Amino acid sequence: MKKKTFSIAAIGMVAALGVIIGAPIQAQEFGPVPQADIDAAKAALGKRLFFDPRLSGDAAISCSTCHNPEKGFADGLPLAKAYPGSDGFRNAPTLINASLKAAWFHDGRLGTNLNDVTRESITETYTMNMDMRLMQERIKQDPIYVEMFAAAGYGEPSNGSVRKAIPEYLKTLTSRGSPYDTGLMSDSATRGFELFKGKAGCAECHSGPRFTDDTPHNTGAPENPEIWSNPLRHVTFVSFAKFMGISNYMNLRRDPGASIRTNLVDGSDIGTFMTPSLRELTYTAPYMHNGMIGSLADVVAFYNDGGGEDPNMDARIQPLGLSAEEQADLVAFLEALSGDPLTSDEHVWPDKIDVNYKPIENWLDARN
Amino acid sequence: MNKRKRTSPTTIAATFGLTVVGFASVAFADASNPPLEALGPPPIPADNPQTPEKIELGKLLYFDSRIGGDASVACSDCHEQKQGWGFNDSLSRGYPGVIHWRNSQTVINSAYLGKLFWTGSAKSLENQAPSAALGVVSGNGERDMVEARLAFIPEYVERFNDVFGDDWPKVNNAWRAIAAFERTLIHNDTPFDRYMRGDSAAMSEQQVRGMALFEGKANCIECHNGPLMTDQKYYNLGIERAEEWFDNGMAQVTFRYEQYVKGTTEELYRIIKDDAGLYYRTKEKADMGKFRTPPLRYTLYTAPYMHAGKFFDFEEVVDFYDEGGGENEFTDGTLASAKTPLLKPLGLTDEEKEDLVAFLEALSGEELRMETPQLPSYAPLPASVN
Repeated sequence: MKKKTFSIAAIGMVAALGVIIGAPIQAQEFGPVPQADIDAAKAALGKRLFFDPRLSGDAAISCSTCHNPEKGFADGLPLAKAYPGSDGFRNAPTLINASLKAAWFHDGRLGTNLNDVTRESITETYTMNMDMRLMQERIKQDPIYVEMFAAAGYGEPSNGSVRKAIPEYLKTLTSRGSPYDTGLMSDSATRGFELFKGKAGCAECHSGPRFTDDTPHNTGAPENPEIWSNPLRHVTFVSFAKFMGISNYMNLRRDPGASIRTNLVDGSDIGTFMTPSLRELTYTAPYMHNGMIGSLADVVAFYNDGGGEDPNMDARIQPLGLSAEEQADLVAFLEALSGDPLTSDEHVWPDKIDVNYKPIENWLDARN
Repeated sequence: MNKRKRTSPTTIAATFGLTVVGFASVAFADASNPPLEALGPPPIPADNPQTPEKIELGKLLYFDSRIGGDASVACSDCHEQKQGWGFNDSLSRGYPGVIHWRNSQTVINSAYLGKLFWTGSAKSLENQAPSAALGVVSGNGERDMVEARLAFIPEYVERFNDVFGDDWPKVNNAWRAIAAFERTLIHNDTPFDRYMRGDSAAMSEQQVRGMALFEGKANCIECHNGPLMTDQKYYNLGIERAEEWFDNGMAQVTFRYEQYVKGTTEELYRIIKDDAGLYYRTKEKADMGKFRTPPLRYTLYTAPYMHAGKFFDFEEVVDFYDEGGGENEFTDGTLASAKTPLLKPLGLTDEEKEDLVAFLEALSGEELRMETPQLPSYAPLPASVN
């Protein structure tokens, strides 16, 4: 009796330690994505801004160009487009559940909040290349915005309020209705979930309601050669690398990933990327930070083979020895993590936005 | 008094005392003004000497839209050779999605100017080029991106190495090359220049009469003096605000943006309805509405005129000065500025006005045109050892 009690206490200690060192997470820690409290007026404003191309320098692209609702708020391409005149060097990540991230962008270089993410995405040269002061004046020219900013309690349009309203809208982009959440998973998916937590080891990193540990890892995902063979992508990479202070950038042919943030002296963090959420994957192919894997079956096969080839690869990634059926079950489980598409008016600005700037009448007498 | 060119009226004025002399000194041409002269070669800065290779590189870059943010606008888009190396709308076109808020000035003879832009905010062509290429309402480019793009154009890599010794093109050297090219856009063989060099047949009699008015009764030489015909100083002539601000929403956006970025006070931002010019640089109220005197050569091709592009031909310009200039937001005393006292009604006859216009026409020779260069292409970088 005494012995038994002791052993239970020992198990408890191990479990507690397990949480600290990031060992497999208990099943009950998965679960539905929490829905945020939303300020409807602010979110509505953020929604219109999200779909408005006047938020980019040459008024050609909006946030929704690379974060398209029809593509799960990603763009369906291996490597994102970028601001006109440039091409991107990473895959456009979904924005669904992005409000719950601990750090943003594939390298996690922003670990603050969506206000900063919004600012970064709007102003960065190769994304939207916008001077937010000009953006503010563009917005002030649109009577619909003037009304919406006031209704949201922001007063007159300002770039500071844009950086609040868009995050409020992003908070509305949360997963719901997936078979996993509704308890309607197929038998195959249910078997896949057990593999996910057990033999396949996915839950090592893909844990919690969004199935991510929000930390960077190196999976050995291969470099995308398109970055180095397409000058427009490579130019963007060089421009990024210069700004980030990465040395030897003209000779570098490798995405440094989260090492720009962690900066380990031995370079063992090169090629690490933030663990992505596994929610809504059926809408957001292709996969990995550089879109190098086209289907969920191929992703599973990639891990079954023990990941890629990279000296910095996480040691936990080992060949899994999964049967074809087990791999199919895992894919079924991953598919069961996709919910209702967020493509209705609730999440998409329904009207065509008139991007022309109406002149202010009696301009001479109006206060600027 | 010894400055007076025309002695008889001022001698009379002198008998009425100093105040009256002061008045007279602005009513008549001042002999202390640097005289009109034929224009010589432009100054070349010692730290950016001209070489044929540098000029050739600068020409390519001048026409290359990859300098601009979305790779669609080059220097040559707002300084277009078919539009007098300027832009023939009142306000310059600006970056896509934007309209500029001032008239685009010609690049021709900009090599001589010590103060570039309408309020002299750049002191050299090397300094002007990045302001234009990177400015939000003009090129909207960004240094790191421009430099990265240049590195992926093998012909540029070779040329920058050749001209500047760069391993990879340095963006500051791009501005130097563009400046070198612009120093070749020289217009100093006008009928006026030939006349001043001794070819008395180069100008018509009417033009010679116009020149006398320019230096005398019309007093243009008060500011448009010296070989370049500008004193490079700043004046408020009472030019009215741009029409576009009344009825063009995009122009209203840019107008407010400029108030914002140029650091006006909150209250001024709210009420201002005109371009305060030099004020944005000095923040002195007395400088509101002042703009730098532009040079006058090549103007036959650069209409419309003034910082807001208000006048579409020389006749309108001459009429404006004949009436003693205009009125604007900064001349009514509300904002503590005033029109320059140099401007007074001139009382020119119709014939005199025609003579002046004829003289202004003598300040432009043949239009300067060239073939647009074939631009080199991007190429991948060779594989490299990490």
